[in-house]
Amino acid sequence: MRIPRFLALGDLPWRSRHSLAGPYALDALAPAERARFERHLPGCAACQAEVRDFAAVAATLGLAAATAPPPSLKGRVLADVGALDAARSDDAAIAAVLSAADALIASAATSAGGTATVVASRSGRSVVFTSAGLPVLPSSSVYELWFIGSAGVRAAGLVPSPAAGAPGITVPVLASGLTGDDAVGVTVEPAGGTTAPTTTPIVVLTLH
Amino acid sequence: MESRQAPDPVSPPGPDLDQLLTLVGRGDQAAFETVYDRTAAAVFGLVLRVLRDAAQSEEVAQEALLEVWRTAGRFDPERGSASAWVMTIAHRRAVDRVRSEQAAADREARVASAAPPPPGDEVAEAVESSLEAERVRRCLDGLSGPQRESIVLAYYSGFTYPQVATQLGLALGTVKSRIRDGLSRLRDCLGVGQ
Repeated sequence: MRIPRFLALGDLPWRSRHSLAGPYALDALAPAERARFERHLPGCAACQAEVRDFAAVAATLGLAAATAPPPSLKGRVLADVGALDAARSDDAAIAAVLSAADALIASAATSAGGTATVVASRSGRSVVFTSAGLPVLPSSSVYELWFIGSAGVRAAGLVPSPAAGAPGITVPVLASGLTGDDAVGVTVEPAGGTTAPTTTPIVVLTLH
Repeated sequence: MESRQAPDPVSPPGPDLDQLLTLVGRGDQAAFETVYDRTAAAVFGLVLRVLRDAAQSEEVAQEALLEVWRTAGRFDPERGSASAWVMTIAHRRAVDRVRSEQAAADREARVASAAPPPPGDEVAEAVESSLEAERVRRCLDGLSGPQRESIVLAYYSGFTYPQVATQLGLALGTVKSRIRDGLSRLRDCLGVGQ
């Protein structure tokens, strides 16, 4: 049987835990002890009050060390935030399509190899495209998505290159602007994409 | 927890940092830019103080500020001030970096083999010429030597309290109580909390 450390130290248990509020507020606990104290904390109002006060003291000590960062830091942080934000709104939009009440799925082998899959929501006018096993393209080419229907053939976005090697999955891509009887097609286009397809689709997925 | 004796230096007039964090939690990038302007020097300075390496500190400050962006929705004003919340993130990131470094063991050995640093020097290094720094210096000066050494080594150098005990040649329990007593005196002197 393990002997609790507080007995080894000759402290009473409650006293031992309480007195960790100081080191805790200074981030001076090793991970295991930090975790133990964090389990103790919710049931100890006195500890919570002490941690709150000590954290305020620690923050003031921190503020005293203020030093202007290089100006370039701001641009990097704001750029990261912009990228995270864009990814977050894409994620939310993708989740909305996948969970839509009218979501339907279509999947087919492509003439280039591999399988293309879309989940479509007509009410959300969007599809999420993904694929497995598509050939990796040279950097001069790209897979491009198209909405194809009585409203015409419209560019619907580019697919990031599949990861090399099996299964070569492409990350889910959201495409918006789905209307009426649209199907979703994929072509291979020059890098950067085009506004109208220049090659025969490797797959056309009909949605019904 | 608002300071009673002096204005919170990262919360000048205008929307306060609490309100800005609430906006950031909803994805407001303009509000985040204001949060950056108000907190970046505090975040970078603290990280630099702990890591003592400008390039690494930029990296860690960047991570900390991004964590502020990602987790602002979880900020709870009931549990402390906005500036304390931001500084807690920055400090934790800095000590995580210090402790995960391959060189951490070397660094520890280096510091341990030297005599404990004269507290006056540590403190002098820690503070800048701002009013806030002056106030902190005055309050740190009011602590007993052992209280000050324990707190400075733990907070500004990022050591765990057992590491502090080893360096100062003291029992764990002694360091714990020095930290606690010292923080209580600082709380009263700085007029934060309660």
